[in-house]
Amino acid sequence: MRLALQLLISHGRVARRMGLGPESRINMLRNILTGLVRHERIETTLARADEVRFYAEKLIDYAKKGDTDEKAMKMASFWLTEKDLVPKLFKVLAPRFETQSNGYTRLARIPNRQNLDRAKMAVLEYKGNPFPPLYPAKKENELTIINQLLKGYREERAQQLSVKV
Amino acid sequence: ESPAAAAFGGGVKFGVAHVRVALPRLYGRVPSSSHRAAVRTGSGRFLFTSVCLRIVGSGEQPPKFTPPSKPVIIDKTQTVASLRKFLSPEFIPPRQRTDPFKFFIERKDMIRRRKVLGVPEFYVGSILAVTMADPNASGKTNRFVGICIQRGGKGLGATFVLRNIIDNQGVEICYELYNPRIQKIDVLKLEKRLDDNLMYLRDALPEYSTVDPETKPVPFCSTGEVPVNKIKVKMRPKPWSKRWERPKFNIQGIRFDLALSPEQMERAQKWAQPWQEYDMLKEYDSSKLEEQILSEVQQVMSK
Repeated sequence: MRLALQLLISHGRVARRMGLGPESRINMLRNILTGLVRHERIETTLARADEVRFYAEKLIDYAKKGDTDEKAMKMASFWLTEKDLVPKLFKVLAPRFETQSNGYTRLARIPNRQNLDRAKMAVLEYKGNPFPPLYPAKKENELTIINQLLKGYREERAQQLSVKV
Repeated sequence: ESPAAAAFGGGVKFGVAHVRVALPRLYGRVPSSSHRAAVRTGSGRFLFTSVCLRIVGSGEQPPKFTPPSKPVIIDKTQTVASLRKFLSPEFIPPRQRTDPFKFFIERKDMIRRRKVLGVPEFYVGSILAVTMADPNASGKTNRFVGICIQRGGKGLGATFVLRNIIDNQGVEICYELYNPRIQKIDVLKLEKRLDDNLMYLRDALPEYSTVDPETKPVPFCSTGEVPVNKIKVKMRPKPWSKRWERPKFNIQGIRFDLALSPEQMERAQKWAQPWQEYDMLKEYDSSKLEEQILSEVQQVMSK
């Protein structure tokens, strides 16, 4: 898990070495990122998901500059190998994250791959997607014992304060 | 003579003020308007004083002597402190894990040194003269003039390399910018080149790195953009110290068409890495940091 980019940089090494070389790595990440933008939730190995996560967030940062920005357009057309996704990036994803400045993605571990090599697997998604949530939503139940006790305590406190005044 | 005198009747003061300074020092270098007028009328100063007298003495009364107003001397050769926003590149910390506090402390020391030694604004490609204390030299100082071909290092260890050709022998001196032995740094010509690193001048014809040590400083504008010298150098035949045609150097300032065949240039493209520019992990956007450091430096320097 990457805490900050600065922590990872050591002797100029900022990335995992994967694929058949630097070009192969970028091409692989491009394909995964295209899938992520199309489906908004994908399942890959943990290393690939973690690696592509950085690019997924940076791509949103570029998309926020708008489709009139030359650099943003170049980046989008490079990273999205299927060109019909470029309007989706600028028209759907960029407005969705307008209020946020980072943390557009969510990464969750899932059980290791069973059939091939028992690789660590993960799910990567853009937040705000239409799928059911990855983690079960927390239920706020009024009737649990702790909530009831807290409620009683608050009421008692409010009473004491009103008596004092 | 008379039309010029009429034209200058109103602006005599102005003319004198400029011509006095402009004639002896900047003759034939800066085409300013006052300079041109002086060339047209010949010996400028004599003429202007006589015009002054004739205007006053047009009445019948023997005129009272009115001394000509004192000329305002504007010394254009003096280097003015730069007005453009400029932060020396060694202030920007490299992208690494080192504690930013280390760079903060170094900045403080750098500013203290800069308050003593005025380090001017210069770029790779500018012509500099560095005066350095040298116990073995006569007069205990040593002055070296050359073209800046590289700037390196961050923080207190920042360096720059000057190159010149002396007696047909290429000489390069790497100066540390904050070395206490440096006594003075003069910018003789402020300009940029097409590249950020001119190490290829080692393999270029010697005329491109030859600088006359007696060069007079060229006045430069302290506002606006720094002029870019778009000269392209001719190279000596191969082999060179490095394969400058390779895309990783990305060199604009070499006439490759004279040195290499089109096939060779095409072969060099084999090492191109066109995906590098799209790799966002490699980006280092220091613009915010730069602004922050610039304001910090300006604040401390003005104290």
